Amino acid sequence: MRRVDERRKPLEAYDAALASGDTETVTSIVDGLLRDGQEPVSVLTDVVAAAQREIGRRWQRGEFTVAQEHAATATAVAATRVVSNHIRQVPLTRGRVLVACAEREWHALPAMMIECALRAHGWDTTLLGASTNPLRLNQYLNDLGPDAVAVSCSVLGSLPTCRRFIEATTASGTPILVGGPAFGVDDVRAVALGATAWASDAHGAIVAMDGLPAVVSPAAPLPGERTAEQAALESDHRRLVARLRERWSLVAAATTPDADCLNSVVDVADDVLHQTLHAVEAALLTGDHRVLPETAWWVDDLLGTRGADPRMMVELVEILTAAMRDYPVAASMLATHFVVPDDWRREATVGE
Amino acid sequence: MAFNQTVPCQPSDPAADLRAGDQLVEDVGVGLSGSLNLRRTALRLLTMIRPRLADWAMVVLPGDRPGALTIVGGDDAGFHAVISASGIADLELSRVLRTGGTELRHVMMDSDAEADLANMIPHPRLAAEAATMRPADLLAVGLTARGTTIGALVMIRSEGRGFNPQDVTVAERVATRAAMPLDSARLYEERGRIATVLQRSLRPPSLPSVGGARLAARYRPAAEHLDIGGDFYDVHGRGDDWLLSVGDVSGKGVEAAALTGRTRQSIRTACHFDRRPEVVLDALNTVLFDEHTKDFVTVVCARMRRDADGRFVVDVASAGHPAPIVLRADGRVESVGVGGTAVGMVAEVQYRSVTIVLESGDTMLMFTDGVDEAMGADGLYGVDRLLALLPRYAGADPEVLCEAIEQDVLEYLDGRQHDDIALLAVTCGE
Repeated sequence: MRRVDERRKPLEAYDAALASGDTETVTSIVDGLLRDGQEPVSVLTDVVAAAQREIGRRWQRGEFTVAQEHAATATAVAATRVVSNHIRQVPLTRGRVLVACAEREWHALPAMMIECALRAHGWDTTLLGASTNPLRLNQYLNDLGPDAVAVSCSVLGSLPTCRRFIEATTASGTPILVGGPAFGVDDVRAVALGATAWASDAHGAIVAMDGLPAVVSPAAPLPGERTAEQAALESDHRRLVARLRERWSLVAAATTPDADCLNSVVDVADDVLHQTLHAVEAALLTGDHRVLPETAWWVDDLLGTRGADPRMMVELVEILTAAMRDYPVAASMLATHFVVPDDWRREATVGE
Repeated sequence: MAFNQTVPCQPSDPAADLRAGDQLVEDVGVGLSGSLNLRRTALRLLTMIRPRLADWAMVVLPGDRPGALTIVGGDDAGFHAVISASGIADLELSRVLRTGGTELRHVMMDSDAEADLANMIPHPRLAAEAATMRPADLLAVGLTARGTTIGALVMIRSEGRGFNPQDVTVAERVATRAAMPLDSARLYEERGRIATVLQRSLRPPSLPSVGGARLAARYRPAAEHLDIGGDFYDVHGRGDDWLLSVGDVSGKGVEAAALTGRTRQSIRTACHFDRRPEVVLDALNTVLFDEHTKDFVTVVCARMRRDADGRFVVDVASAGHPAPIVLRADGRVESVGVGGTAVGMVAEVQYRSVTIVLESGDTMLMFTDGVDEAMGADGLYGVDRLLALLPRYAGADPEVLCEAIEQDVLEYLDGRQHDDIALLAVTCGE
């Protein structure tokens, strides 16, 4: 089998077709790679997933609208289906696994890729679609009695339900593997939430699945004070976003009806507020503070690319701090950790 | 995947033994309460008793059909086998299964050991595995719950660690504790099998591929965990002539789903003879009215035919259902002007169809009131919000459109309970 990176041309063609929403070309490129003997899981990680990350960066830079991003994702779903069809004949040699997205996880694609990768390695997979609630997961746990559950979390907002998935799954003695960008670069958050294992990508998931124990104990309870504050924040989320929207002059300044929708900062203002509050919740839930500087960097970069006044970041921190008056733990974490580390900024500048 | 295996030091203090026994019985009670899946519950039991109570163990349970038994256990957690109950009628194990009693055997380590073990362990692979443990004692305890012996727990202790009378008592208590959750799981699975078979026929269909068009659909029942509800969508036809239908049975949950199944079948049969939407609705109305069901059904039907230029001529008729929306390739949105009485309420209804044309890049969206009547913090979601959302997806794939609507509505709901939601979108052009 040849390595994918020996074939730059198809990758460039794939990126170009993906960007223009040309599903037919995308699927025929993937089909060609598989026919040439490329390893299916590498096609998923090195082609489909890699191109998808570039799409995300284009949105971040303001080059793509949300609708274009959705279109590219639909095309990537079609590409993943080509791989799924290709590996359908692989015999079932391992156990049964349930692959799921937690609530607020609308990115079904990563879970679909994990499902495809595990199926390619002989697992008997069942995929639950985007944004699944714990009740539905429970139903499938009891009906299927899987040997393992795998959960993909791209967005921080899906971590609270992921914790409920972990509780439900381990209560039945079943091991649970987690992964996705919301967990960051190591297993700290996964361990804090009580998951049985963590994987950084599809290849890692395949390895981790083989190492899972057959039966696990129920996940230990989370620390009381932080968890209580997270639960309160979660139920107060909508009201907080509304209040922050009112107070952030970024929103007020940019609500002109004929603003260029591609670069409009107001389009991203809601994303920023949701994401920031979800980051605070994630820090409370997992005790991992790193999620705060990571989010601060993301917000700062996003505002920068949309041409927002640099003072908007400072203002955001101020109104956030004020809004956290009823949440002492969150407020102190925000004060200490919600800053862009200086060396990150320097690296970014050098990178350019 | 193998169980962790550590050989414990033999406690010699009887009081400590007693406490450890009590703790094990308590752990089993708590530990088995989390699952309703029979195999998972049995696996959990096996991991909990090894090595505290036994060095090797297996569980015999009812199989998935009458007269069958399932065996779970041994060193490989993935192992399970199905055997016939009549096939083991002469073995000692079947006495335990009949009486629910306890049998303790000292195993002689000679050439007959394996034959001896086979009397209690009716599977060659497991019997061989057990023999390699150099067993000293074999203990079989019946699993009795709700007045019936449903299975047996068979345990082995290796050389130098036999079962004393106190161990036997602990094993019996463990079996009593475990039997109830195992039987609950058995009941749940039995019901579940009935439900699964019926449910399968009520699940939303996979969409056919229609030449010259792209189709996408979404389905989110009010009872999300059941995967079925009172909304439905279907696409029937062939070649260049298709009937799309989306409907909603008054009521929710399982009862609604059952009527949904009959409604879908009636539409399917009616459109086999005549695909004109007004004729299909008329036939459906007569069938459901004659059934005297207390529920009624709203349906919208659209017959689409491809013309020589690749456009679709679409005849739409509605029976009390929200009107479809057309999203033009350039971003204009329009509601299709159809109305009519819901089916199943009055004996004779005249349904009328209107005709629209879908050009390349135009999309027709059919939906149920779970979309516009979604109740969020600011009241109903409303058709206006839907109309405002659509233009930015002009020319997009129908899959993208459906996903965007589903996400927008669910985020608007913000975790609140919702009615069944169904979406069916068709875009002209490959």
